[in-house]
Amino acid sequence: MSAVAPGLHALQRWMLDALVAPESADRATIDDLVRPGARIDAAACLDIYRRSYVLRLRRCLAEQFPATRHALGAPLFDDFADTYLRDCPSDSTTLYELGRRYPGWLEANRPDRDAPEDEREDWIDFLVDLATYERELFRLFDARGHEGQRWPNASTDDDDLVLQSCLSLAQYRYPVAWYYHEVRASRSPPFPPYAESCVAVLRRDYHTTTYPVSGLHYRFLTQLQRHGSIDAALDDIAAWTGRVVSVVRASWTNEVRRAWIDAGFFVNRAGG
Amino acid sequence: MDGVAAAFSHNATTMQNRLGLGVGLRNTHFDHILAERPAVDWFEAISENFMDSGGRPRAILRDIAQHYPVVLHGVSLSIGSTDPIDRGYVQRLRRLADEVDARWVSDHLCWTGVLGINSHDLLPLPLNGEVLAHVTSRVQAVQELLGRSLVLENPSTYLRFRDSEVSEPDFLRALCDATGCRLLLDVNNVYVSCYNAGTDPQDYLDAFPFERVVQLHLAGHQHCGTHIVDTHDRPVSDAVWALFARAWQRSGGAATLLEWDGNVPAFERVHAEVLRAREFMALLEGQSSGTGTEVPPSVLKDALHESESDEVLSTPADFLVPDVMGRSRLQPV
Repeated sequence: MSAVAPGLHALQRWMLDALVAPESADRATIDDLVRPGARIDAAACLDIYRRSYVLRLRRCLAEQFPATRHALGAPLFDDFADTYLRDCPSDSTTLYELGRRYPGWLEANRPDRDAPEDEREDWIDFLVDLATYERELFRLFDARGHEGQRWPNASTDDDDLVLQSCLSLAQYRYPVAWYYHEVRASRSPPFPPYAESCVAVLRRDYHTTTYPVSGLHYRFLTQLQRHGSIDAALDDIAAWTGRVVSVVRASWTNEVRRAWIDAGFFVNRAGG
Repeated sequence: MDGVAAAFSHNATTMQNRLGLGVGLRNTHFDHILAERPAVDWFEAISENFMDSGGRPRAILRDIAQHYPVVLHGVSLSIGSTDPIDRGYVQRLRRLADEVDARWVSDHLCWTGVLGINSHDLLPLPLNGEVLAHVTSRVQAVQELLGRSLVLENPSTYLRFRDSEVSEPDFLRALCDATGCRLLLDVNNVYVSCYNAGTDPQDYLDAFPFERVVQLHLAGHQHCGTHIVDTHDRPVSDAVWALFARAWQRSGGAATLLEWDGNVPAFERVHAEVLRAREFMALLEGQSSGTGTEVPPSVLKDALHESESDEVLSTPADFLVPDVMGRSRLQPV
């Protein structure tokens, strides 16, 4: 209990419980604590806050996961949202964080969570991947980026290139980036079949772009992220593919390097 | 008033509180403002939309602050909570205020959560001696951390606690006296709270410590018959305009801002709505010069509009969520 204002502390605990879990507030307690309004009773006064709490946060979650909402349909999305908000009420001063735990919550609460992995429902895997992708897009939208600073160009040495901070790598079981952008284009995409996909998502000039990449390129980027060195990442790819480093390096230099620099994958190691 | 409170009070008296007629800065208007540089007197930015931003929102606010006066208005300070003050939050708020040269920093007389949970609503406090002592100590601490006077707004309320013992104007007056903080009087909130409580908004204004007011808020509300909800999703009602005229006069011409947060129309429409304040200012100037008339009593009666939907949402928070999808694309490399 709070050392100061103990009466206030108890009242605030009671009211927050009444918002997050409405069945916790009984009518007698409400009447003991709350005055009736001019034209409605005390419980109806409290209900105004209860309704707004759910509607406000549900709406925010819908804006953070528009494609997941499209896939689920609004009624089911809202049902999930209500349960999520009860299990994971906001713990941040900003609503931007409201959806932070949503993909993990979907995975943890899937109805087939106790089934063997190969017997689980495809559509739930898809939803978890889609929500994970949407959350990452949301995070990158407002993460600290490289805008306003100098970008490298084709003449920059490999030793001076490092992946930019506003870049994220992910592997998905379904083509969720395609699905998301179909929804963005106001189309009604069907539930896509299983197809593993690798993506690099990055922000440049305040636009977030998803680049589908091959499995090989995904590994290269992952190694680059881990080691911070293009040479080290090329060595890893050479070992992994059984090719000599010079061949791998030639492929990097001639087929990939320029496009990735122009797209904004890299910043200068020394900063802008 | 102790020395610290007196210092903040002195600081507050130097506030430029005649900024004119401002507009609440909203995500949907960013591109218009950047492209057109509309002739707005000043902008009010929601602190939480920008203080943690490393992306476009903060860059845009920095840009806007170079062309317009900016005020920061928060919704998560939770000055009345019994949780410890979130010092990290206040420090980030101070950094943002310094960065955009905020004319002042405001939030609400409310609590938003407890036990680390944030309801993202402006929840009411019981107004009594225990709570006054609690809020006083927290305002003093926040002002120390912010390095500036805090401005607090009267929230819209839908319930009153049985252990409230003083009126909101009296509570705010005592809080100002003890801390040197200043006030943002939301005229729409006065109307909403008084209607819901069955009290007279004129009595509320008569008791309000106008000498502490640096800013006024205007907004639209939804009348649900038995109660009114502060929806910020429509034009200001005639009754609120009438209250505004009296509040603006008594405040000595405090900076005035329109909030429009749900179903946000084009920027020009929002701006035009706040410029309606000039009609009431002209009426008042006519009165003082002996050529005008009283604010017509007819505007004191608000039309009753039954709610068309049960999805009536107090202080909608859509505007706190950016349009991420609109700035995303899928592209082969």
